[in-house]
Amino acid sequence: MSRVFITGLGFITSIGNDSVAVESSLREFRHGFVSYEPFQKANIPVKVLAPVRDFSTTSVDPEDWTIPAPYVVKREVLRSMGPNALYAMCAMQQAVADARLQPEDVSNDDTGLYAASAGSPAIMARYLNRLHEQGPMRCHPLSVVACIAGSVQFNLVAGFKIKGASTGFSSACASSAHALGFAHDEIKLGRQKRMFVVGAEDGDADTILPFASMRALSLNPDPATASRPFDKNRDGFVGTGGGTVLVLESEEEVLRRGVTPYAEVLGWGQASDGHNVAISHPEGLGLANAMRRALAAAGLAPGQIDYVNAHATSTPIGDASECHALRAVFGDYAARVAVSSTKALTGHGLSLAGAMETGFCALALRHGFMPGSAHITELDPACAGLNILRATESVAPGLVLNNSSGFGGANVCVALGRAG
Amino acid sequence: MSSTASSVPDFDAVEAQVKEALRRCSPSTIEAALQYRRANDFSRLPLVIFGIVERYVDPALRPQLAAAGVDDLRVVEDLGLDSLTIMEIVMLVEEVALVTISNNDLRELRTLGDIKVFVDCRARGVEPPKPPKRFDSEAILAVMPIQPPFLFLDDACVSPTQATATYRITGEEPFLKGHFKGNPIMPASLMLEALGQLGVFHLLNGLVSEPGKRVDPGSIFFASTDGVRCSRICRPGDVLALTLKPKRIKAPLVTFEGYIRVEKEKAVSVEEITLTFGLVDDVVPSEPEALPIKSPPTSAT
Repeated sequence: MSRVFITGLGFITSIGNDSVAVESSLREFRHGFVSYEPFQKANIPVKVLAPVRDFSTTSVDPEDWTIPAPYVVKREVLRSMGPNALYAMCAMQQAVADARLQPEDVSNDDTGLYAASAGSPAIMARYLNRLHEQGPMRCHPLSVVACIAGSVQFNLVAGFKIKGASTGFSSACASSAHALGFAHDEIKLGRQKRMFVVGAEDGDADTILPFASMRALSLNPDPATASRPFDKNRDGFVGTGGGTVLVLESEEEVLRRGVTPYAEVLGWGQASDGHNVAISHPEGLGLANAMRRALAAAGLAPGQIDYVNAHATSTPIGDASECHALRAVFGDYAARVAVSSTKALTGHGLSLAGAMETGFCALALRHGFMPGSAHITELDPACAGLNILRATESVAPGLVLNNSSGFGGANVCVALGRAG
Repeated sequence: MSSTASSVPDFDAVEAQVKEALRRCSPSTIEAALQYRRANDFSRLPLVIFGIVERYVDPALRPQLAAAGVDDLRVVEDLGLDSLTIMEIVMLVEEVALVTISNNDLRELRTLGDIKVFVDCRARGVEPPKPPKRFDSEAILAVMPIQPPFLFLDDACVSPTQATATYRITGEEPFLKGHFKGNPIMPASLMLEALGQLGVFHLLNGLVSEPGKRVDPGSIFFASTDGVRCSRICRPGDVLALTLKPKRIKAPLVTFEGYIRVEKEKAVSVEEITLTFGLVDDVVPSEPEALPIKSPPTSAT
């Protein structure tokens, strides 16, 4: 059974397109929200979104997209990609360089890639419209690869010549956390030596607005306050997109290559609410069990945890469920373990969230800080008994949990520890 | 008296659609496409196809399209287009030239010339030429008067206007031991021989047809050659790609021009290679003779 370490990170997010920018945004509470232009229509009550910066992917034709330096993507590669796969590809280039991997480290039988993305609703919509208007033979041969879920791994496995294990995970907002857990298992069980974990989402109107009619999105038009997990007046989540790649390696590889990891992945757990397709269990039953299983897998007691990166998306019901789950798992220690939701700064990345927030935890473990929970003016009484961080603390955590929950009541918790 | 108002197609809409579809092609391509659509000017089609192919070729490989012999450029091997890019090209050609190209048709389009000829025929409503016939080594061995260890054709492809073949220098060829000692190199004379053998094969596969007669395999001989240039040393492992095109046919002589490439490099070019050949009657196999019916033995009692 091998130990598993995070040795590389790549970020394309609303709060920065590299680790340095991301960390500084987390520490200084710089959020990524704007008054999103495509939402400024009379029949769209949602007004705010956190877009990816410096990329422009609105054009129907990928050859017209703006891709910032240093990223260069050839036409033959771009033609089968939606924005989510593009962000993922750039994040992967970053992560490979960050982990100082050579091409032979990336492409070999013992290196795999697990990914999560909902596909590209915008491209799917355009594609199906064209198919019905002009017939199936007038549609680009690779549009289907660009729009269905799985698009991220189709493109990245081909583009980076991955020869090990590869697949995608579909558990809505828990997807990339599932990808991380199962990638960890591939290495722990000795089936792979290295795994890339990828989360990505388009994060545009077509990806986010489908959540409006179930009243899950914030209607607050103020970018500075719309996303406020744990605040008494929160009214829904704010969407975002982008891509995050984590490089996971076995202990043997870490020693062989002589690199310093960000963090160790100590274990993970998952459990389901068995309750409702879209509403979390009122007591956060599944999430509590996921946390207990993660602790057990990592061989840890609740009292050893320094910080929890909560799933909390800023929805009235979801955040409250998580508070119940935290109190149930931590008991007397609940008042001391630091908790925050970084979605207050980034927004909710759906399939991207699990990987992105684990990436934030990796930075926190390596560089010695605990991100605060931003935009809280009045703490919800439902958070009573919990230590919700109101500001970032420059205290180095040693052991961390990262929570993610998705539709249908899927819950994943990953336990991370400082490396070395 | 009723007048039949002639329906003038709304060309503005067509023009807008063509310009949008070809927006990443050169202005001359767009102009040719508009001329074709406006006036059914088929002579513009080759330019349109060239322009569409050019648009999809990697900028680094585009200079190839400016060279001579462009119609022989193989879309996969020379222009680096994968099968998906060929589908993209076909889709744009279909949209602009208003033709349909099926999967079967697609398989046979190997060179730029193939595409041009095919689309031109389709657009005119004319049957495109039959795809070239392909032969594997068994089929070649069955007809050739030349055999191993002196046969330099692994597989071949024959159409009325040209023959192509490949030969892989294995390294086991007996003459390589001596040419050169310790440094096996395919002799230039044998590369020329290979082209000649392809000419033999072409003669035996329909290059010359006369009613009631066929080419006699035992009658084909080398006559002359001119303008032979060798520009690449070929070694074991190299695959020679041979191309031969008839220039003049006047019995008993046929003159070809041809060349040999290895991957993208030219290895040999021949301005003329001439073979003599003889014809024999095409003998129609007769009905097998009826077996004599033996009368059943009478039992002797």
